[in-house]
Amino acid sequence: MNFLMTTGRTIRQGSYVERKNTAPYRDEASCIRMNPVDMFDLLVEEGDAVRVTGAGGSVVMRVRPDPMLPRGLVFVCLGPYANALASPWTHGTGMPDFKTVPVSIEPTTEQPLPVSALMRECGGMPYED
Amino acid sequence: MRIEDVVCPFCGCLCDDLVVSVEGTKVLSVENGCTLATEKFTGDHRLAHPIRRTGGAWEKTTYDDAIRETAEILLDAERPLLYGWSGTFVEAQTLGVHMAELLGAVIDNTSTVCHGPSIMAIQEVGHPGCTLGQVKNRADVIVYWGANPIEAHPRHMSRYTTFTDGFFVKSAFRERKVIVVDIRETDSSEIADEFVKVTPGGDYAVLTALRMIVRGKGDLVPATVSGVTREQLFRVAEICLSARFGAIFFGLGLTMSRGKSKNIRNAIELTEELNRHTKFTISPMRGHWNVYGSNEVFTWITGYPYAVDFSRGIAFYNPGETTSVDLLRRKECDACLVVASDPGAHFPRACAEHLASIPTVQIDPHVNATTHLSRIQIPVAVTGIDAEGTAYRMDGVPIRTRKLFSTGYPDDVAVLGRVYSLVKEAKG
Ligand code: SF4
Repeated sequence: MNFLMTTGRTIRQGSYVERKNTAPYRDEASCIRMNPVDMFDLLVEEGDAVRVTGAGGSVVMRVRPDPMLPRGLVFVCLGPYANALASPWTHGTGMPDFKTVPVSIEPTTEQPLPVSALMRECGGMPYED
Repeated sequence: MRIEDVVCPFCGCLCDDLVVSVEGTKVLSVENGCTLATEKFTGDHRLAHPIRRTGGAWEKTTYDDAIRETAEILLDAERPLLYGWSGTFVEAQTLGVHMAELLGAVIDNTSTVCHGPSIMAIQEVGHPGCTLGQVKNRADVIVYWGANPIEAHPRHMSRYTTFTDGFFVKSAFRERKVIVVDIRETDSSEIADEFVKVTPGGDYAVLTALRMIVRGKGDLVPATVSGVTREQLFRVAEICLSARFGAIFFGLGLTMSRGKSKNIRNAIELTEELNRHTKFTISPMRGHWNVYGSNEVFTWITGYPYAVDFSRGIAFYNPGETTSVDLLRRKECDACLVVASDPGAHFPRACAEHLASIPTVQIDPHVNATTHLSRIQIPVAVTGIDAEGTAYRMDGVPIRTRKLFSTGYPDDVAVLGRVYSLVKEAKG
């Protein structure tokens, strides 16, 4: 199913911003919030994994219901999971379209990767402290 | 020991009223700060020593070796990028700009993926802004447009707007009206007197409709504009026009969505229209701590606020060309020095991939997403905790931060100063 993804800061993401290798950061940054009716249509429940694909790439996240979101709009906090989907094109402004990313979402049995593994996918070498 | 008037080193509010209790090099408690401040001060998960990547493994290294190798990487590169700067103090930022000039590098700060479009708009039409003190003491109408202060700047409302009384606003709760404009309901929109819900990408049209009403051309406004009814637009315009002093604060909801700098330009021009009737100001909600300072420092040295390219031997600025995301997308840079930020977490994946493919060095106290993409990381003291320096609040007010205690970590100036000396020696 197709959605529009928007992004923003959350207190939890901000609280763990200096501990990106930890599970609480991963859980917050890889959480995709959506209207419960959209979850019903997608046949997913809270905590289920979904594969989200955008122009910039594809990543696995976990669903959280958020009745404050209108149908068709999903929210992911700023971070490496949301940015894995954004296109690097800036239309000559320097700024990617982080707030309006068209994505497709489907249920999956895969698990969200930790940040270090996500960076390995980008060609990096995980550092475990 | 109890230390008063401590400056928070997290967001652009730079709250300077924190009371921090410390014992040795440990923070025991933080009073007055929000959750983010408490986490920042009490967090105890620094990188213990410099690290470098050789082949497929990480190893411990010394400051001497890491600094020497960083200078060599930068000197070997043809198109180095020096990126970040918003989490450190202006003295370190100043060194960064001078080093970029010596190297013929591009130097960019985090406004490139934050309020860069706001700066572009301000360059076009100016900035009718004011300090947060003016807002606190005078504003009776507050507009948050594309911003969610409760999550991103948790004390903005309690220190400067909705929940604090001012000299001319004796009872903020009764006298201040709050308007929130967003594409979704948020904790901030829940406490607004008027919540304007715009369809995604529709801000420009809504701003234009408001300008038309303020200009007396409201009869041309259609029944709905980007999901907002004509009635509500008139109501919002009326609230603004009847303000004694209005303040608009805008966030990334305007800078990162369709229209970008043009959204901000329209918002500034709405402010200008309103100023024909009453007093109105507009200001960006700057996010990452001293990002405003990086714009100040870059501008006072080079004339440009971010994305400054020295490859021609002079300062050259062209957002869309000399901005980090574009340089990395084009795979143009062949080395990168990251200071006090985390592009691995905040740039699109294609950019992270390029950072991983070139020698990237990071100077930062913590392990973050960029660590995994780097070749070297040099840990430093945290400004505002174990290092002191000057930073700018989101409204352009410089504030000297305090050092609460000494740790063994060098600060950003100490590390960058040594890299700079090596570069200068090599360049003659
Ligand atoms: S609002 Fe910002 S500056 Fe103030 S205490 Fe919270 S994080 Fe720190």
